[in-house]
Amino acid sequence: MSETVQEWAGDVRPAVVGTCQVDVNRSTRRFAAQAGQPLLKALERQNIFIPSACGGRGICRQCKVKVLQGGGAPSPVEINRLSPADLEAGVRLACQLQLQQDLQIEIDPELLTIRDYAAVVQEITTLTHDIRRFQLRLIEPKMLRFRPGQYMQLYVPIYPGSSDPINRSYSIASDPVRANRVDFIIRRVLNGTSTTFCFDYLRSADALHLSGPYGDFRLSDGASDILFIAGGSGMAPIQSMLHQMKNTHSQRKTTFLFGGNTVRDIFMLEEMRQFEKDLPNFRFIPIVANVDAGDTWTGERGLVTEAVKRLVQPGPALEAYLCGSPGMIDATVAVLARKGMSDERIFFDKFS
Amino acid sequence: MPGAPTMRQIEELMRCDRIVAGGFFGNDIRPLEEIVQADAATLKALKATSDQLAQRMKALRDLGLPYLGNTVAAGEGLEVRIDENRGTLICPFGDGTRHFKTITHCRRLADGRQRRWSDLNIHLIEAHGFFEGQGCAFRLEPADLVELLLLR
Repeated sequence: MSETVQEWAGDVRPAVVGTCQVDVNRSTRRFAAQAGQPLLKALERQNIFIPSACGGRGICRQCKVKVLQGGGAPSPVEINRLSPADLEAGVRLACQLQLQQDLQIEIDPELLTIRDYAAVVQEITTLTHDIRRFQLRLIEPKMLRFRPGQYMQLYVPIYPGSSDPINRSYSIASDPVRANRVDFIIRRVLNGTSTTFCFDYLRSADALHLSGPYGDFRLSDGASDILFIAGGSGMAPIQSMLHQMKNTHSQRKTTFLFGGNTVRDIFMLEEMRQFEKDLPNFRFIPIVANVDAGDTWTGERGLVTEAVKRLVQPGPALEAYLCGSPGMIDATVAVLARKGMSDERIFFDKFS
Repeated sequence: MPGAPTMRQIEELMRCDRIVAGGFFGNDIRPLEEIVQADAATLKALKATSDQLAQRMKALRDLGLPYLGNTVAAGEGLEVRIDENRGTLICPFGDGTRHFKTITHCRRLADGRQRRWSDLNIHLIEAHGFFEGQGCAFRLEPADLVELLLLR
């Protein structure tokens, strides 16, 4: 590196002027970066997006990278936040690692496919009393390649009453073939920073920024029977997977159990009935826990876990894909395990 | 401890809305330590502890969790309902813990009084003695909780 080390007045940390060479994944990517900046920022400037939720404060610990060479000693913040095993293995927090010398790092290779996208809101659809679908059209780049099950990070700008921009993750609900479009199914969260923005401030034609795709929740390539189980906005990745199955003319025997507390929590019935027509071996079963006296619900009733007990007979070829709240997933995994399903055949996206 | 976030850094994160809309202070202008000390004094006067409250809050949450969003009788004149969202929230104190977006709604049948708390509330009370600032959407009044949950 070319360097000049200076002392910053009023700051105990030496400021470094010059550039460093950053090598990512053994020369898969190499770039020069201004010294003195956090590695997280330097990577972002190269369109390499490492997940981070705390705005570079070293609190969320999501931005871990493995340093193979360079990087200097971990900062006190990193020593405090990282486990001894992580520190021993060379793991660092990208938001805390100040570039001071040439650096070789290792990150999940999938992060190198992640890009920043400019998009515009095309349509917002109310699906239930607390769930909406947000259809976005990509502007630059115009196309997104993703695997159904993956998610994007939505950059939430400062809006009236908020103090900081943030980012939050949402599963992609859209058809991967329609690569210029990204759909999210979002449930309003009480006091949620991002959902307050999405529900109260976001309007059609508004511009947005996203990054992604992230995540490894995806359908297997095999021919196993499939059991989808979801509730609420957990519908999103399952819908995208169903598009994928339709696009590939999948013949896999597939059952989708979708749970809601009341009839008004059940949505996208028409879309699911259409999938039943398009996919020869697909069956959609909505389940309502509490049917009010005035409701004309004739479908399955009870908790989704009770429906799993009643309706699912897991054979050796069955794979289960779960998406929903942590409690629903934990309870359903327990039921499936009691029915003899092995962990290796149960996949879930707790979004944690 | 070296590297641990300073009180100033914690307050800065809590007063912005990177983690929850509106932050953790509401319209409370008191410093964090003052809020914690005032609530601790309230608990002491009531001969209760934050740990007692946190354990009771956890027990009620755990009672409601298997019912996946449906109301269930919790004994002692209470009923609970659990509302869950996907995702997690980090603890703003920088202790590295993450908490599911699980909200427990607790209602006293006798008078209909309701209180709600998140998993992060439970952790903040148990680990940090923090009930959030006045005016905050998830502020819990210690005296109120003691009366509702510990029957004092």
